[in-house]
Amino acid sequence: MKKGSILGIVVIAIAIAVIISTYSKTSSYGSFKEAMTSAAPLQIVGHLDKSKELYYDATKDANYFSFYMTDNKGQECKVVFTGTKPQDFERSEQVVLTGQMSGNEFHASKILMKCPSKYTQDKVEVTEYKAKSATI
Amino acid sequence: MNIAFKGEHLLPGQLGQFFIVLAFGSALLSTIAYYFATVNKNPLDKSWNKLGRIGFRINTASVVGIGCCLFYIIYNHFFEYHYAWAHSSRNLPVYYIISSYWEGQEGSFWLWAFWQGILGNVLIWKAKSWENPVMTIVALSQTLLSSMLLGVVIFTRVGSSPFILLREAIQAPIFSSPEYLGFIKDGNGLNPLLQNYWMVIHPPTLFLGFASMVVPFAYAIAGLWQKRYKEWIQPAISYALFSVMILGTGIIMGSFWAYESLNFNGFWAWDPVENASMIPWLTLIAAVHVLIVYKNTGQSYFTATFLVLISFVLVLYASFLTRSGILGETSVHAFTDLGMFWHLVIDVLIFLAIAAAAVAARWKELPFSKKEEETYSREFWMFVGACFLGLSCLQLVAVTSIPVFNAIFGTHAAPPNEPVNFYNVFQSGFAVVVTLLAGFTQFLKYKNTDATKFYITTVIYFVFSLLIGGVIIYYTGIYHNHWIYSVLMIGAVYSVMANAKILADVFKGKIKLAGSAVAHIGFGLLLIGAVISASTSSVISINNTGTSYGSEFARQGNNPRENIMLYRNEPVQMGPYLVTYLTDSVALPNHFFKVDYKRMGSDGKVKEEFVLKPNVQANRKMGLVPSPDTRHYLFHDVYTHVSMANIKFDDEMTGEGNGGHDEASDDKNYDPPILHEVAVGDSIPYRDGVIYLKGINKNATVQDIKLKDNDVSVGAELEIHTHGNVYKSEPVYMIKDGSSFDFARRVPDAGLKLRFSKIIPGKTPADFKFEISVYQQPESKKPYIVMKAIEFQDINFFWSGTIIMVIGFLLSIFRRNKELKTA
Repeated sequence: MKKGSILGIVVIAIAIAVIISTYSKTSSYGSFKEAMTSAAPLQIVGHLDKSKELYYDATKDANYFSFYMTDNKGQECKVVFTGTKPQDFERSEQVVLTGQMSGNEFHASKILMKCPSKYTQDKVEVTEYKAKSATI
Repeated sequence: MNIAFKGEHLLPGQLGQFFIVLAFGSALLSTIAYYFATVNKNPLDKSWNKLGRIGFRINTASVVGIGCCLFYIIYNHFFEYHYAWAHSSRNLPVYYIISSYWEGQEGSFWLWAFWQGILGNVLIWKAKSWENPVMTIVALSQTLLSSMLLGVVIFTRVGSSPFILLREAIQAPIFSSPEYLGFIKDGNGLNPLLQNYWMVIHPPTLFLGFASMVVPFAYAIAGLWQKRYKEWIQPAISYALFSVMILGTGIIMGSFWAYESLNFNGFWAWDPVENASMIPWLTLIAAVHVLIVYKNTGQSYFTATFLVLISFVLVLYASFLTRSGILGETSVHAFTDLGMFWHLVIDVLIFLAIAAAAVAARWKELPFSKKEEETYSREFWMFVGACFLGLSCLQLVAVTSIPVFNAIFGTHAAPPNEPVNFYNVFQSGFAVVVTLLAGFTQFLKYKNTDATKFYITTVIYFVFSLLIGGVIIYYTGIYHNHWIYSVLMIGAVYSVMANAKILADVFKGKIKLAGSAVAHIGFGLLLIGAVISASTSSVISINNTGTSYGSEFARQGNNPRENIMLYRNEPVQMGPYLVTYLTDSVALPNHFFKVDYKRMGSDGKVKEEFVLKPNVQANRKMGLVPSPDTRHYLFHDVYTHVSMANIKFDDEMTGEGNGGHDEASDDKNYDPPILHEVAVGDSIPYRDGVIYLKGINKNATVQDIKLKDNDVSVGAELEIHTHGNVYKSEPVYMIKDGSSFDFARRVPDAGLKLRFSKIIPGKTPADFKFEISVYQQPESKKPYIVMKAIEFQDINFFWSGTIIMVIGFLLSIFRRNKELKTA
């Protein structure tokens, strides 16, 4: 067999291995309901429940942050994050959590949040301006 | 809707928009002209070529014009323009206006077009017989870039213009008022994270790298188009080396920026946006190697062409990833969609189609080599190396593109849970192969090599690398981590050693090899630094004191408590350091925290002391934005950032100076006072220390209060001992015109307010007692910071490796250019 073909086979084999391992490593976006039964950590997309308490008190414990999140199926759950409160968390539009359930709480090891896009942000800003000009 | 708006400056915007349309039109003209110049059979007819040049020069001038208009608008704070309003503000220093340019997508497209314009002019000047076909491609790319800025409605809105007015961009009732500008006092300001000098130079470098990748692509297409299969290689190598050097520098600059001023916890986070810039770099560096193989041996023509072509397509794909908003759920840094999703897709597809069509049309004529490479030849192993670089790229593309596949196939796969580890392990595996190849391939010659001699050198150097690598692995503790890091370390050391030998030969006269040897040494050092610092970095701010939230929470323990809490002037032991948060100083918008580090020797004496000033911007719109501060040593860095602090927002700070302090409301900041009746010499214990009454000052004075004969003013000389610090304070008790007053004194560093509230007379002066009211700040009101500190080992190898690699690239470019001239 020619060397070139051997190399070709090796490269293709590794490429296939890469792709398979990539997709076997991918987790799936789930819901709190699925997290209840799943033993492995998973990612949940949802949004912050702004009507409930966001708890972070650095003076008590700088590494404890808890809040309530509603997942995309509408189920709400208390979330605990071992770390400081991410900057500007209140304004997040969408939150992606990685972690698992522990009792009735979801323990997040990672939080990724998405803030409002510039255009919606603009609108908020201008209405604020309006309120100010009215009071003058 | 014909409202005459007051105070708008419409001229610069209209001029700018005119330049945009002109830029698009002239680029299109240039593309068409160059196309006909290329297909024109009559070599004496230069008219198409002339037209192409004129078109391209008008385009360059227009792009510069767009830049000037935009600068004028931002510089003069014309907030009627959306771009100025969204990305700058009045208090933005001039040099950051530059960064506000590329905070938005439009500005970064402009930057890309600017560099591509410059490169196009260089090609017009230098490319000679290649000018027509090469410039056809460059001008086409310039046309597409200009179209991204158009912002003109043709069926749907095409592109996004930086000159759109605020009232056009946003729908709000306020804009029905002719005087709306009077209400818009200031812009949104530049994202505080971007207010950094690295942000002034990192994007231009990165975009020069992206822009320059069109040149090797254009040469490859031109080579196929003109059937000049061999000649295009030589200039393409030089330009590809240039691209790889600039893009590599840009990527590492970004990583340095992240390390120095972002709280990414390190220099590389495998964020999709970072990956996007690395993907084309990997294929182009592979392309450079295969191009050299082809030039020297005539082998691997197709692979060389393929890699060059795919690199530019991947640049466009990367810009689609970061700009279309598709990364949304997986990246924090990507731009949001500006309605250009399909525009970007079309851009990628056009160039993909050109590349595919050009290769397909010439498929039968391509110079495929019949002969097989020798096993003991340099070209064969360079080719293998290129394949592995390609595989490494494939892995990055596959994982980064998960959201794209989700969008296409409607699936809901999420990226790996532990992306950093996942990438590190995979990419290390590929890097091992690449470093080993970068080492022993240097011992091989083109065509064929004496096998015995080769084996002897290879094995000797390998044994040495094993020893040196082993020592490094042992001392830095890499072996505690995944085994692949140890293997990679040995590979990287081998790469450095083997190339050091080649460098030694350079000094014996084989000057030609200098560039490659230096670049590979740099690459090896870069990897050594990356491996050590990524696999041994440790968080030293582990908190063991936090209140426990139930045993369930503590037991979980999957996340170590990585932040520590520092109250002002209360030292805390953190790893080997005794850290104290001393004071803070404000230079708006930055809020600096002075944190003192002491390292004690075993004898209890201070061996080392230094102060770090991590800072935070308390921005009303962005929240707290921290920037780290790092103590640099030769072999390790202590990196700290403040993740939380109870400070005021910018706008509250500026308003504070003129408002007087209201005593009653001030008391709310303290716990209820505790009264102590003491005599001179007595001590008052309190929560954080002891206060001594040292004496009574009978002639205390208070500013601006004049005393008459019957008035009394006495001060209590207090000394406060807390956490090893001593403070003095003198609250004053006063009887003036028959009524008594007292003047409290604050000791902010100790979190105290002290009042001398009463004098209780005794029979003799020695029996006098004095009432001292002690106000303590509750824990939550006391100034504190929450801090995270990480120790990075040997990161300097990473930076210095980069610099050495760039020097190597420069040497190679000089060499190839020389060959170009002599050829």
